[in-house]
Order: sequence, then structure tokens, then C-alpha cells
Amino acid sequence: MVALARKTLVHEWRRFLPAILAVGFAGLLQLLQAALVLGIFSSASIYVTGSAADLWVGYPGTQSVSLGRSIDPNVEGRLLMDPAVERVEPFLWVDADWRGQSGTGGESVYVSGVDPRPDGLVFARVLPPALRMRLREPDAVIVDQADMDKLGVRVGDSATINSYRVRVVGASSGLRALGGVNVVASLDTARVLDTDPADRDRPTYLVARLHDPAAADAVARRISGARGFDRYEVWTASAFARRSVLYWMLDTGAGAGVLFLAGVVFVVGAIITSQTLVAAVAGSVREYATLNALGVGMRALRWVVLEQATWVGVCGLLCASVFGAALLALARGQDVPVVLDVPVALACAVLTMGLTTVSGLAAIRSLRHADPASLLR
Amino acid sequence: MMPTTSATRVTLRAEDIGKAFMSGKVRTPVLDGLSLSVRAGELTLISGPSGCGKSTLLAILSGLQRVDTGRVFALDQRLDDLDPRALERFRLLHTGFVFQGFNLFPALTAREQVELPLHYLGVPRREARERAARSLEEVGLAHRMALRPAELSGGEKQRVAIARALSKEPALLFADEPTSALDAASGQIVIDMLHRIARVHGTTVLCVSHDPRLIGHADRVLSMEDGRILNDRRETTPGVPTEGLVP
Repeated sequence: MVALARKTLVHEWRRFLPAILAVGFAGLLQLLQAALVLGIFSSASIYVTGSAADLWVGYPGTQSVSLGRSIDPNVEGRLLMDPAVERVEPFLWVDADWRGQSGTGGESVYVSGVDPRPDGLVFARVLPPALRMRLREPDAVIVDQADMDKLGVRVGDSATINSYRVRVVGASSGLRALGGVNVVASLDTARVLDTDPADRDRPTYLVARLHDPAAADAVARRISGARGFDRYEVWTASAFARRSVLYWMLDTGAGAGVLFLAGVVFVVGAIITSQTLVAAVAGSVREYATLNALGVGMRALRWVVLEQATWVGVCGLLCASVFGAALLALARGQDVPVVLDVPVALACAVLTMGLTTVSGLAAIRSLRHADPASLLR
Repeated sequence: MMPTTSATRVTLRAEDIGKAFMSGKVRTPVLDGLSLSVRAGELTLISGPSGCGKSTLLAILSGLQRVDTGRVFALDQRLDDLDPRALERFRLLHTGFVFQGFNLFPALTAREQVELPLHYLGVPRREARERAARSLEEVGLAHRMALRPAELSGGEKQRVAIARALSKEPALLFADEPTSALDAASGQIVIDMLHRIARVHGTTVLCVSHDPRLIGHADRVLSMEDGRILNDRRETTPGVPTEGLVP
């Protein structure tokens, strides 16, 4: 088969360049906004993704890590009874008020009470063992390097949380919170800071590590809903992380914003691309009409136009991938939070190809001018 | 080569056909009660001033346009009651076209231009390549096969267009003003070529032109005016060689 669509695209690349660039830009915009939004909102699940636990147990229906309520501490026994469970650890979440030394006023902070052992599960990926061990000192807390100025302290300074005096013993990195400031303390310290009498001796979450992380789904189902305890729910770490990110995206309207912008990009990209394709078809309309005179059916000609649109899409996606990879690398180098996973990248690619297909369908309409009788003048 | 006996066979027939065009509410008749028979193995030329309806007649006889009244037969098949799909199929199997503008795809080489319709005809790739090469040889472009339209002269482009029509081995070949965009020498070559195709392949070649240079090269000349045929005369052309198309 003579590859008419492809050869025309190569030979007349100048004509198709605007369409390729439009598709490329549309793809790039989708990709970057998805990466940025995911990057920003992935900090909502840093407690889960930064930890080495496979299962999270919390209050039923908890939408996001930051919205936990205390649960029955005896559930720990139920977890440990399951042979698949290797270790269980409590995690305490305390909403608190911070006052620094240098008159920065009150600051709302999220205190995470974690097991200070060097091999503790919560924040295992964020806190190095040495730093973590400093939490064993009484009233010790760790704050993120990036939040030091906001909190008005340096390492070694004192401050008060919920009117209780604490001391900053170290600085973490990569623990920035969404809508507040993360402060890490030992479980003991966090219990002292928690002023809510209803939380007394009750953890906000129990996290568990399994012998076989791949079995997390099955174990979570098995452990859920045991009788004889206050109500609780079990999630796998990945499910709970996704739940937290989605909650923030939808709660803040960012999800709607992303979808809206994706729609705008889709429409604008489709308009530019279809106009270019329409012009390209119009430029070859006499040749198409000649083929039709020779008996090549309109259906076959429509396929040529669609194939051309597909090639435009593929070229555009290639451009978007190259520029996208470069820009994401640049963003990471500048500490801009960007996260892109395969499903999201694929979704962007599918959206972009959808855009070119719609444009191709629009361009097909201009084939109706390819009337061979009009060639007889 | 076609036996000369088939040269007398009628392959195109119009019976009392009428066609009118609407511009706004005004109905302009183009053809009115026209009847005509065209035979295989000859070059039939329809000449006349512009607007006389000759291109419309060509479009109707080739299955590109429908008649309002009357009947049209091509290769003993009635064209006026075929649906558009069936008409496309008929054209694919039986017709070749040469237009005034050469209408070649800028991106394709001469050989690919000729191959392209063959694929849609279902000819296997290798055979299509061979047939395309053969047709281009026949129009004297064997050495220009790998060139794109931008690298060919006007006359060469028209010969590629002829090869494209010829490679389908059509029984009917229609040419609309095939020499109008060419200089005298190229026009001469093209019309000779069309004439030889009729003789060599036994093809029905119907050509529409107002170019007076062509009259001497046709086997039969129909003069049209105001949608009617005024004059139908046979030329006694000097012997045209029946071997090869290139002089």
C-alpha cells in the first residue's frame, strides 16, 4: 500500500506543523498540570507514602489521613492475631497550636506521634534512623527544614505546642504539609500534647507491616469488621494514600479545576488541530476528487484523513513527551512538587489522541468538497 | 492487443438525456434530449465553445453525474439507476480519467501515483508495482519514475496522469481538456498517446476539448453547441502505429 497519509505528512510537514505543535502543546499542558496537581496534593498522603506500613487501620469512613479520629487500641491484638501480620505500631495525629519564640504568633500544626525506634514504620522513608532516635528525648520534636522560618525556630530552640513546652531537636526534609505544618514527635510526647480527653490512650491509626506485602488486599479484607471492638476500617497503604489525595483534590476544588482546564485544553487543541487538518485536506481536495473519480470510495478517503490525524497525534505526543520529560526533570531540580505515574501519563496520552481523532473527524467533513464532477471545467 | 473487430462495439450510449442546473430559483438546461453512441477502439472528441455542455456530457457518460431524464448505458450497464456506492465501484473497475489539472499528490513519486489506485482495486503490492512501471514505460517515463510532481514538467505530469488512468486497464478512458495546460509539443504528445491507447488497447477514449489542434488527431469529432450535438463526423486519420505509445 502506498502510504499516502504518512508520505504527505512527511513531504508537507510545514503544512502539518501547526497541528503537530497544537497537539504537542495540548499534551504537554495536560501532562504538566496533572504532574503539578498530583505533586502538590501527594503531600496529603506523605504520612502513608513516607511510611513502611502495608496496612492502615483507622476510624471507619476516614477520607484523608488528616481527618482521623481515635480508635480502640485493642484492635492491635486483633491485628497481631493474624499470621500474615509481622508488626503493628500506633500512630497519633494531633491538631495543635504552635507558638514560637520570635513572636510569629500562633500557627496551626499537625503533630504526628510516631514510634521513635530506629526501625519504626511511620515516616520510615522520611526520617533517617539517627534523626528519629532523637525523638526519644523528652518533649523533643522535629520540624521540616522548609517550615523553620514559618515557625520562627531553629534546631535547638524551644517553642510551645498547646501551651506545652517542646524543643526542636532536628530538621527533616520532604515533610511539608498541605494547609498546615507537620511536626513529628514521639508517641509519648504526642500523647501529652493531645488535650482532647476523648483521645486518652487511644491511637488515631494503627499501622501494620505484613510478612508478604503483596497479600495486603486479602489481609485487609480479612481483618476488616471483626466483632468485639469499637468500629474500625482497614485500608492498604496505596488505597489510603489515594483516598487522601483524592479527598484533597475534590475538597479544595482542585480536581474540578484540573478537569475544567483539561476540557479547555482539549477544546482549544481540537479547534487548532482540526483547522490545520481541514486546510490540509482542502489543499489536496482536487487529488482526492481525482482518486474518487477513479473509483476510490469516499470511505477509503476518509480513512486517509483519519490516518493523517493519527500521525499528527503521534508526532505531537512525541514532542510532548520529550519536552514534558525535560520540564519535569527541571521542575524536580528546582524542588517544584511534580509527580507523574504511568496511569496518569497514559490518560494524558489517550486524551491527546482523542483530541486528534475529533479533529480528524472534523476534517473529514471537508472531503465533501472532493466532488470529481467539479474537476471538469 | 485488441482485435479490430471490437473497435466497432458501442460501449457508451446516451438515450434522450436531459440535465439542468439550478442557480437560485433559475433553472438552466444544459443538455436537452441528447442521444449519442460512442465506440470502443477510437478516440472520440467532443468539441465546442465553453458552456456548451460538453463537460457535463462527459461527467454523465463517465458516471460522475446523474441525468435528470433519459438513460445512460456504459459497457451494457445502466448507469442512471446505480446508487453512489455502485457508481464508485463501476468507475473503479472500468474507468480512467485524465483532467486538465494533473491532480497528482505532491508527496508521491510518479510510480506511487500510478500504484495508488491499483491498491484500491485490490491488486497485490508487487503486481501493482510492476503494472505501474509498465504503464510509465508505455508513456515514455521509465526514467522519471522516482521523481515527484515538482520535478516533472507539465507534459510529464500529464503523462503520469495518463499512466495512472492506464494502469487500471480501463475499458473507458475519459479526458477533459487534457492539453489545455500544455505547450504545443507536449499537447501533441499527449493527444497522440490517447489516440494510441484507443488503438492499442481497444479502449473507448472520450475526450472533451475546445483545443482545435486536437481535431486532426481524433477518429470522430462531435461538435456541440447549446447542449446539442450539431455535427458528428469521422476523420480519416493517417495510419497511427499500433505498437507502443511513444512516437
